[in-house]
Amino acid sequence: MNTLEEAKKAVIEDFSMYDEWLDKYEYLIELGKNLESYPEEKKTDDKLIKGCQSRVWLDWKIDDGKISFIADSDAIITKGIISLLISVYSGRTPEEIAGDDFGFISEIGLKENLSPTRANGLVSMIERIKEIAKENIKPAESEVLTAEDAKQLAPLYDNVILAIKQVYDPEIPVNVYDLGLIYELVINKRHEAYIKMTFTAPTCPMADEVLAEVKKSVSDVPGITGCEVELTFEPPWDQSMLSDEARVELGLD
Amino acid sequence: MRINDVREQFPALSQKVYGKPLVYFDNAATSQRLRTVVEKMENLAFGSNANIHRAIHKLASDATEEYESARDKVREYLNAGSREEIIFTSGTTASINLVAFSFGEAFIKEGDEIIVSESEHHSNIVPWQMLCQRKGANLKVLGINDNGQLKTEDLPSLITERTKLVAVTHVSNVLGLINPLKEIVNICHSMGCPVLADGAQGAVHEKVDVQDLDCDFYAFSGHKLYAATGTGVLYGKKHWLDKMVPYQGGGEMIATVRFSGTTYAPLPGKFEAGTQNLNATPALPVALDFLNSLKDSELQQETESVKEYLDEELRKRSEDHGLGTLHLFGVPHGTGKKIPLWSFAVEGAHHEDLALILDKMGIAVRSGQMCAEPLMDRFGVTGMLRVSLAPYNTMEEAEYFVKSLDKAISMLI
Repeated sequence: MNTLEEAKKAVIEDFSMYDEWLDKYEYLIELGKNLESYPEEKKTDDKLIKGCQSRVWLDWKIDDGKISFIADSDAIITKGIISLLISVYSGRTPEEIAGDDFGFISEIGLKENLSPTRANGLVSMIERIKEIAKENIKPAESEVLTAEDAKQLAPLYDNVILAIKQVYDPEIPVNVYDLGLIYELVINKRHEAYIKMTFTAPTCPMADEVLAEVKKSVSDVPGITGCEVELTFEPPWDQSMLSDEARVELGLD
Repeated sequence: MRINDVREQFPALSQKVYGKPLVYFDNAATSQRLRTVVEKMENLAFGSNANIHRAIHKLASDATEEYESARDKVREYLNAGSREEIIFTSGTTASINLVAFSFGEAFIKEGDEIIVSESEHHSNIVPWQMLCQRKGANLKVLGINDNGQLKTEDLPSLITERTKLVAVTHVSNVLGLINPLKEIVNICHSMGCPVLADGAQGAVHEKVDVQDLDCDFYAFSGHKLYAATGTGVLYGKKHWLDKMVPYQGGGEMIATVRFSGTTYAPLPGKFEAGTQNLNATPALPVALDFLNSLKDSELQQETESVKEYLDEELRKRSEDHGLGTLHLFGVPHGTGKKIPLWSFAVEGAHHEDLALILDKMGIAVRSGQMCAEPLMDRFGVTGMLRVSLAPYNTMEEAEYFVKSLDKAISMLI
């Protein structure tokens, strides 16, 4: 089997054979028509990709640490697009998929040449594929910790929390930790920190800066080898998430 | 006058998309803008730009005159009884919402009924659903037959003494069928029920005489009849409008304001709160003049032959069975009439795929549910492809479209 990079390169080459977008569509239609058939009984709502105007079903299984996808759509060009995506990403490890930037899509100009609704559909397809990959990474991180591992991790947790407490919300004089913005904090055996956090409102104009600050502050903790910060708004933040210290600080008690 | 003379009045039509001449066949969604409409707006914006009805300075009085003379011209165009019956809004949707609120507040009580038809677009369904929810009233639906025509014969049995309003489209935006509005109004009035007509498509293609039709309300948008977006009209019979409560509160809809209570301005100001679309609404008469100019018999003959050609070609392709066959929706029978609009599904080819390929050929058509989901359910499809013409669409464009459609279908099946 070829590598992910080889597969992407092959797609880019195939696309570059055609000058006209009409011909490129013809190529996508061929891909759609030749896509392996998808079982009717799996055309269920939970397999539908949300955000597409035409219906797209995506299913997957993991064998030997590699994910394989099957898909279908009632619109043939969309089917061609999903076929292209799964031909590139099937048979890869979750880490490979999650770590990919899907940049080859813009290289072939696909997104730009779709109608806005279908371009959104393409984004949704990519998001779903990434999501599936991420879901399959997590178990690996919750690997069994030995007593020795735990002993080494314990002080790191304290220090990482202290580091997060150095970052303040730009509008409220309370640090992001006590505000209750940190939803998940995991440090794995390799001492990489993984943080899932939110903001008090989805419209926070400083969001990018705050995320970068958290990442930097945590990365600077001695012993931490890497840090990943992910943003979520599920569940949305509310005041009950404030720590007792923050309540006192804000005069809420 | 010839089609090409009409074309010249629309700068947008001469552009190319993806290097191919634009073929704009999505006129039912919005038409292209008349050069003269935009010029009028520009003159107002750079000249008589002042808030209307308020100040005594020269600019304000010019602007007010422009705005109010537009009302006179719309009255004349619709043959309304008085200028007070013409309310300016931001479009059909706003006009219908105004009635749903203001008529609803005044006349709808728990257990009352409102009737809409199965072929309405969302703008003539949802405001009534919201009203029914607010008041605990019931929404009833007048069905259509398999050809897409309203089952007008069901109306007398559907209307009860609790029915307070029938809201029906003059011309369906999906089927293009012209509903027998006058007959509907007759039936409803004979049973004591007023009628609102959604004229979003009707005002574009049909001569509307509100006194002859005798409808109680008629709503339409400027942007579909070559005028500006954000302009629209609600015609309402004075005796209804007088009894309705204001829709929005604010500037210019008041007579006196005290904290102890406010009295409202007389019609039409009562329904025109806040600063109006004072650069665009006065351009509406420019578009109405243009509509009047289309009555030219030479032009009508030419546009009619384009319509006939397309109708014939599309019907031909719907006679077979199997892959690639067209399913046309809204084929009139008997004396039924249709505007130059066709919606169809193609056996074995998805509407979205067709629209995407046609787009790359330079052709703008609509695909999807066309803001009329209940109608899609009625015909059991997830969407359709819609082709809608304006008097600036030529025979050459129609021929190119038919060729392109054939090509697109052959690519897909």
